[in-house]
Amino acid sequence: MNSNGGVEIANQSMNELSIKEQESDESVQVTCFSEFSDDVTLHFQIIRLHKQIYAWIGCNSAKFGHLYAAAPTRPSNNVSVTSLIGGDSDNTGLGIARRLVLKTGLNIVLACNIPKNSPMLEAKAEKKLMEKLISLGYIMRKI
Amino acid sequence: MAMETSDPLFPVRQTTLCLDIQGNKTDIIVSSYEDHFLVIVTQIGSMGTILHARKEEGVSIDPTFNVAVVFGKRDEPMLAACARKLIEHISNSGSSKALVLSLGLRDHSMGTLKGIVSAVIEKLF
Repeated sequence: MNSNGGVEIANQSMNELSIKEQESDESVQVTCFSEFSDDVTLHFQIIRLHKQIYAWIGCNSAKFGHLYAAAPTRPSNNVSVTSLIGGDSDNTGLGIARRLVLKTGLNIVLACNIPKNSPMLEAKAEKKLMEKLISLGYIMRKI
Repeated sequence: MAMETSDPLFPVRQTTLCLDIQGNKTDIIVSSYEDHFLVIVTQIGSMGTILHARKEEGVSIDPTFNVAVVFGKRDEPMLAACARKLIEHISNSGSSKALVLSLGLRDHSMGTLKGIVSAVIEKLF
């Protein structure tokens, strides 16, 4: 009888655990941080929804910038990316969105106000964002 | 319950809210940038349809607004109406910020959209 009772308790705990996992999977998580270096401050905001990630990258200011959407295109490994707001002649941020999806397979909406013709800054922002997404456990780094 | 979720030193202020609208669990996140408000409303785990709403700079006393769908459903006038209501409220409260509104909804009924507008205006703006 004791072992049966033990099994019941174990099952109950497992059910509770899996419910908790589901709840935390489905709740929205917001992460903000800033990186200071040289004369530039990069601000990052990551909002994780269940099936999509929204991120904003701010360079020295809190202007919204241009908005892009990118997602993997099944069944091949292609990535589709488009600019939604701004980004016609100045596509800073488009490359970041595209490469993020290429490396992670996530569905991403990215807002970015990094000025154009700043490839070093773009690369740095992209690297920081990737590192944070990995450390938050939103992606497994593809080998 | 609305929660402020940013460090006071971070330049973007955010508030999150989770509530039931017409039987659907709805997450609302409002972020305030220097020149925009971003309002994400989701019941489906993604941003869904994204709209951009702006006040036009005009000569006349009454402001005019431009509302456009930039991603997603372009044939749902209720979504645009929702964005219009919110940009009008933003304008009436004295701000000239534009609005990016994302609506990832299970239904586009009047009841749901009214619920969203009142939750956003009442609790977050």
